[in-house]
Amino acid sequence: MNAVSAFAWSVLQDALHRKVFYAILAFSVLLMLLIPMLPSASVGVQVDLLREAALGLTSIMAFLLAVILASTIIPAELGRRTIYNTLSRPVRRWQYYLGKYIGIMVVVAFALFVSLAVLLVMVGAKFGVFNPGLAKAVFTIFLEATVLAAVAMLASVRFSPLVCVLFTGLFYVVCHVKGDFLYRAMTDSGNHALLRGVSGFLYYLLPNLERMNINETVAHSERVFRVGAGELALLAAIALIFSCIFLYLGAWLFERRDL
Amino acid sequence: MEAVLSVEDLWKSYATRPGGPRRQALSGLGFSVPRNSVVGLLGPNGAGKTTTLKCVMGLARPDSGSIRIFGRDGGAVEARRKVGFLPEQPYFDLYLTPRKLLLYYGRLAGMEASAARPRISYLLNLVGMEDEADITMDKFSKGMLQRIGLAQALLAEPELLILDEPSSGLDPLGKLQVRDMLKSLSSGGTTILLSSHQLSEIEEICDRVIIIHKGREVASGALAELLEEEGECEVLLGKPVPESMATIPPTASWAEGGEGKRLLVPRDDLNAALASLLEAGASIAEVRSRRLSLEEFFVRRIGKQGWEVEG
Ligand SMILES: Nc1ncnc2c1ncn2[C@@H]1O[C@H](COP(=O)(O)OP(=O)(O)O)[C@@H](O)[C@H]1O
Ligand SMILES: [Mg+2]
Repeated sequence: MNAVSAFAWSVLQDALHRKVFYAILAFSVLLMLLIPMLPSASVGVQVDLLREAALGLTSIMAFLLAVILASTIIPAELGRRTIYNTLSRPVRRWQYYLGKYIGIMVVVAFALFVSLAVLLVMVGAKFGVFNPGLAKAVFTIFLEATVLAAVAMLASVRFSPLVCVLFTGLFYVVCHVKGDFLYRAMTDSGNHALLRGVSGFLYYLLPNLERMNINETVAHSERVFRVGAGELALLAAIALIFSCIFLYLGAWLFERRDL
Repeated sequence: MEAVLSVEDLWKSYATRPGGPRRQALSGLGFSVPRNSVVGLLGPNGAGKTTTLKCVMGLARPDSGSIRIFGRDGGAVEARRKVGFLPEQPYFDLYLTPRKLLLYYGRLAGMEASAARPRISYLLNLVGMEDEADITMDKFSKGMLQRIGLAQALLAEPELLILDEPSSGLDPLGKLQVRDMLKSLSSGGTTILLSSHQLSEIEEICDRVIIIHKGREVASGALAELLEEEGECEVLLGKPVPESMATIPPTASWAEGGEGKRLLVPRDDLNAALASLLEAGASIAEVRSRRLSLEEFFVRRIGKQGWEVEG
């Protein structure tokens, strides 16, 4: 376990010395602070709008951070040859792989924490309300980031960072439209059999990431739906299962790769 | 003698591009490193030295063959516990200081921080980097990184030290220091396997060399014996004989810079050469036995082109 935590620690160190980390974090906080200046229709929906826009920004920030870190760490270490100094020690490759992944998620959690704090303070200062429910949305953003990072890191065992980012972007889009678009493509008997087959395959294979997006619900104070502890636990279980599958595949491939 | 490392029939190919034809990097290489010896892996660039060492360290997967370290399978984590490795042109996360870097590597090696700290100070001192121990490495020269590389290889007090081109990037003084360091490690009981394409840096410290070319062993053994075996004689003439006049044997050649007074003759052909020289009216001042330099040995064995194009 010591090796895993040492690798995780190295990601933290690395992120804190990378400009891209601060750039993404600062940019999203800045944009968040600018939201109240947007012209809006009525005072009543203002707080909802603010919360929804800020949560949207937080999602983008967290996903970008997770995917960029996960896509670049292994290719960068291979390119700079620093990986030879660590993997020539008595450590296993999966310890490296898991440690780096945990490190990424710690960095993302830290950025989400900052973002949530800014959001709470902003909503509190402007509308005089304390909104701990926002933490639920930030939690599910984190859950989705765990899946996206695991996918990007799996791709990074074989492909360049740019390909990984694009691939994960495609994965993100397909997993968000699957409940709606893929379901219809699969069930519409007017479609070609091949299209129906592929849609069905993807529908049952991929996670429904749209379900993890509770930004809108939370932004509207859960007036329509309530997001209970049961739902959060279920989402966490889904994220955990899919992350583990992608991590296992990635570690398996990484184990077999020439460095 | 007990072998600390034994490599048998190692084959390794790389895909030139995904799905493309494969290029053979190692073709049935085998050798062993006896305990307490210093063994040199010698060959021109592209010979397969780095590939061999990467396979030994478990960083690359051979297509076939066996690697045993301290009697264990080379892929096992335990096998690497008492092995130190210096990669070719080592590189580090430059925002770290040498001390922090070595603490991190110490954790990976399972060392307690309390045990690692004094060891790290000792090693930074050993490689002459004690004054730079706590400044970030982004201003370090290649030679300084090489020294940090040596320190990290020695971190866990390895019994087997594997060094890929340890002197590359070092100035002449640095090379001398590395050589002295390896000598003292060796006399302290450390077994060393190092690779080099620079013959001079291996010559002084290795008990044995394995000379490889295109992933195959060309020759191996004690260096002095290898060089003696291929040796030749130098014939000094009393007065310069114009090349055109002397009918020298086809195997003989004029030594460079000898001003037409020095001939090199393979040992086996000495008598015939001397006879034909005397017949041509040359006066022989001296005949001496001459050991090949390693460069010459290479050129003999793998051809001038093989060495110069790739080396
Ligand atoms: N990662 C790699 N991918 C493809 N070919 C490689 C790779 N590494 C080494 N090679 C090839 O394998 C051969 C041996 O290389 P290497 O072991 O680096 O030689 P050396 O260390 O003796 O200079 C070379 O022909 C080189 O081009
Ligand atoms: Mg090399």
